[in-house]
Amino acid sequence: MSAVEGGVGTASIRADAHGKVTGLARYPGDGVPLDALHAFTVFSNQPHARMLSLDVSAAEAAEGVVLVLTAADVPVNEYGLTKMDQPVLVGLGGTDRSAVPADVSRWEADHIAVVVAETPAQARNAASLIRVDWEQLPLVSTIEEARADSVLLHPEDGTNVYYELRIVKGDVDAGWDSADVVVEGTYELPHQEHAYLQVEAASAWIDPEGRVTVETSGQWTHEDREQIAHALDLPEDRVRVIYAAMGGAFGGKEDMSLQIVMALAAQKLRTMGISRRVHCRWSREESIVGHHKRHRATIHAKLGATKDGKITAVEADVWLDAGAYNYTSNKVLGNAHLSVAGAYEVPNARINSRAVYTSSVPGGAFRGFGGPQGAFAAETQMNKLAATLNMDPVELRRINMLRDGSEGITQTIMPAGVTLPQVIDACARKANTALPIATFASIASLPEPEGEVKRGRGFAAGFKNVGFSFGFPERCEAEIHLHGAADDDHPSEVEVFHSGAEVGQGTHQAIRQMAAEATGVPLDQVRGTFSDTAFTGDSGSASASRMTWMAGNSILGAAEEAEKAWREGQRPAIGKFRFTPPPTERLDPETGRGTPNFAYGYMAQAIDLSVDTGTGIIRVDRVVSTHDVGRAVNPQLVKGQVEGAVVQAHGYTLSEDLKVRDGRIANPRLSTYLIPGIGDVPEVVDSVILELADPLGPWGARGMAEMPYITYAPAVIAALHDATGVWFDQFPLTPSRVLAGLKSV
Amino acid sequence: MTTYSTTLSVNGIPYSLAFDASRNLLSVIRNEVGLTGTKEGCDDCECGACMVLLDGHPVNSCSYLAAQATGKEITTVEGLSSGDELHPIQRQLLDAGGVQCGFCTPGMIMSTDALLRRTPEPTDEDIRIGLSGNLCRCTGYAKIMEAVKATAVELSGS
Repeated sequence: MSAVEGGVGTASIRADAHGKVTGLARYPGDGVPLDALHAFTVFSNQPHARMLSLDVSAAEAAEGVVLVLTAADVPVNEYGLTKMDQPVLVGLGGTDRSAVPADVSRWEADHIAVVVAETPAQARNAASLIRVDWEQLPLVSTIEEARADSVLLHPEDGTNVYYELRIVKGDVDAGWDSADVVVEGTYELPHQEHAYLQVEAASAWIDPEGRVTVETSGQWTHEDREQIAHALDLPEDRVRVIYAAMGGAFGGKEDMSLQIVMALAAQKLRTMGISRRVHCRWSREESIVGHHKRHRATIHAKLGATKDGKITAVEADVWLDAGAYNYTSNKVLGNAHLSVAGAYEVPNARINSRAVYTSSVPGGAFRGFGGPQGAFAAETQMNKLAATLNMDPVELRRINMLRDGSEGITQTIMPAGVTLPQVIDACARKANTALPIATFASIASLPEPEGEVKRGRGFAAGFKNVGFSFGFPERCEAEIHLHGAADDDHPSEVEVFHSGAEVGQGTHQAIRQMAAEATGVPLDQVRGTFSDTAFTGDSGSASASRMTWMAGNSILGAAEEAEKAWREGQRPAIGKFRFTPPPTERLDPETGRGTPNFAYGYMAQAIDLSVDTGTGIIRVDRVVSTHDVGRAVNPQLVKGQVEGAVVQAHGYTLSEDLKVRDGRIANPRLSTYLIPGIGDVPEVVDSVILELADPLGPWGARGMAEMPYITYAPAVIAALHDATGVWFDQFPLTPSRVLAGLKSV
Repeated sequence: MTTYSTTLSVNGIPYSLAFDASRNLLSVIRNEVGLTGTKEGCDDCECGACMVLLDGHPVNSCSYLAAQATGKEITTVEGLSSGDELHPIQRQLLDAGGVQCGFCTPGMIMSTDALLRRTPEPTDEDIRIGLSGNLCRCTGYAKIMEAVKATAVELSGS
C-alpha cells in the first residue's frame, strides 16, 4: 500500500463516477445549445459502385437546410489512421490533392454528403432528396475471392493482398522430421461489433482563438487533430479536439467517424458568417453500419511436437479480412502475426500473414488488436496437441512456455520480466480449488435441459504486447503543476494535465493516483485537466493496453521536473515531460527477425462450462482469469477491466453473430446482434491478480485491459471439447452451431 | 406537425411545454426540459439507457410518446439524489465500482429503483430479470449485481 493517501495501489472511487450516477456527466450530445445546427451524414449505401453524377440541388433548396457538403468541399479528400486510403467524402469534382480515387464507393457507409439544417429531421429529409447515379462494380465478398485479384478494390495498390508479414525461423523441415505428432486446423473467426453504449456524436464550432474545434469521443485527441488538419489543409494548431465524457470505445473510436466532417462543417459555416455550433449524433444503426469491426479471419495452422510434448515446429497462414479500407489492419495483422505461434518457445517456424481488401465492413482496432485471432489458433492448436498426446494442457504449457531469457518467435530475446510461468501456476492452483461448481439445472435463467448436460473444463494462456509496436515513435506527454506558498517545504496541491482518453476504463483516476504518488500529495488535493489539445500534450492513444504504463512513466518524469522547479523556488512549480520507451523495430521482411515490442502482459484462464446436448445451449459456470498486472494502480478498476473483458469475450465466443451479406450488414441492431445481458454472463468470474513488477513499468505496472479478452474463446472451445469430445473450429457457439457440431460426429 | 401543449411533471417540478405530438418522451426530457442524464443508446427499446419511471414503473422513454406522460409523475436519474445526498443505489454503485463509462448507469439506476420498490428483497434471479432490459458493455455486470444486492440490504434493513 502506498504511503501517500490515495496513491498507487488504492481502490479509490473514480472522480467521474459521481457525475455518472447523478446524470450530470456530459457526453457528446448532452447540453447541445438550442440554437445549434444539426448535421446528417449521408451514407452511399453502395458496397462497390462508381459515382456517375450527384445532384444535391433539391437538398440545398429544402426547408431548413443551411449547407450541403460534398467531395468538392474537402481541401484534401483523404484520411486513414495508418494508411490514407479513404476519401472523406466519396464524390466528384475534388481538388486533386489526394492520391485516393474519390469517385468510387467501396463501403456501404462511405459518406457522399453532409447536410446541415435547423433540425435533425430537416437534415434527414433533405438527405433523401439527393440524387446519385451509380455504375455498379463487382463485389469481392470473401477472402478467397479477394486473393484471386480479378477485381481490385484499390487499383492503386495493384493487388487486394496489400499487406504481408513473414517469419522464417530455424529449419521448419527439420522441425517436422523431429515431430512425433502433428496437429493441423483451419479456423474461421467472426467479425465483432464494439457495441459501446454511447454511439458516435460530435459538436463543432470555432473557438474564441479562431480554432476549428470538435468535441467528440475518441481515443487519441492529437491523432484526431492531425487527421482533421490534414483533410482541412490547416496547421495543427488551428484545430482543437476536446473529448467529453465517453460511453465506451474498445478500439471502435480509434478511427475517425464524425471528426473530419464536423470540423469541415464548422469551417464552412465560418466562411458563410454563421457562428452557430453544429451537432451530429449517429443512430445505433448508423453506428453499427458506419464503423469498423474486429476482423473476420481465416487461419490455417500446423503444430508439431515430440511425444514428450516439446514443440518442434509451427506453420501458420493468417488471412485478415481488412474490408473496404485499411483502418488499422496493417497493425492488427502485425499483432495476429506475433501471437499465432503462442507464448511458447518455438525452434522452427514459418508464418505468413496477410491483410486483404474485400467489399465488406472494414476491420480495425478492437480490444486485443489481432491478439484474439492469433491466440485462438495458437491455443486451440495447443489444446488439440494436449488431447492428442493425452497430456494435461497445463503441463504441456509448462514444457513450452516463454520464460525470462527465452527467444521469441521473432528471433530476439523477450523483454525482461516474462512471468508466464508464475501466471500459469497461479491459474492452475486457483482453478483446482473451490469445486464443485453450481449445477446446470440451478441456473434458472436457462430453460430446463432437454438433453444430457455435459460438463467440461478448458485452459488457455498467452501474452499481449503493451504499447505501439514495430518501430512506431512511441511517446506520452504529461505536465504537472505543484502549488504552495513560497516557503512551503512541500506542495499542498497538484494539477496534472494529460490527454489520456477516458473511455470508461478509469484512466483519469489512475492518472490522478499516479500523480499523487509521484508528488507525495494526497489524492484529494490532485486536480486533473484532461483531453483538450488546447491544454494537454500528446499522450498517444488509449489503446494497446498502454495508457497506464505510458502515462505513469510520463507522470514520473513530469513530477521530477516539477520537483526541481519547486526546489528552485518556482510557484507554481511546473514540470513537463515527454516519455519515450525503448525503441522497437520493424520485422525483417524476409525472416521476421526483430524486436517488435518493449513490454508484455501475461495471462491464463481456466473455464468450466455446462452444455445441454439437447438444445446446444452453453452455460459458463466459472472463469478463473489470471493476470500479472505488475502493480495494480487501482485494484478495483483492474478487476473491473477483467470482468468487463471476460464478458465481452463471452459475447464474441457465444452469441455475437454479425451477418454481412453482399457487402451490407444485415443485423445492425442490438435486437438482432446479441451482446450479453445480465442474465447471459458467466456465473462466477474469479480474478486472480499477480503483481510481479515489469522492469520498465511505472511502479512496476504492466498493461492489462486487453489480456482477459484474448484467451477466453480458446478456453471455452477446449472446455466444450472436454465436455463433448467435439472440436469446434468456428464460432460464435450459437445453440444451432453447437447442435450441428454435436450431430456431425 | 401537430403541436401539443401540456404540462409534464418531471422529478416533482411541473414544466409547461409545447412540442410536436409525435415526439418521444426521451427527446422532450433531454431537449425541452433540458435534463440530459437520461441517455439515448439505441432509439428502439433495445438497450435501456433511456429508462425513466412513470408513476414508479420503468419505461423506455425512447419509445413512449411524450404526450402520453401528461398527468403522470416522471422520474429521471436527476430526481433520485437530493442535494449532496445520493440515493443508496447511486452510492452503492460508486462503492462497488459498478460505473465505468457510465452511459448505461442512469438506466440501470432507474430499473433498480423500480425493482426494489416492487421486490425489496430480490433473489439473484429477480435482479437478472429486473435488469434484463439494460445493456452494459463495460463492467460485465458483476459489480452492478453486487451494488444492487447491497442496496437491497441497506433499504430493507435486513
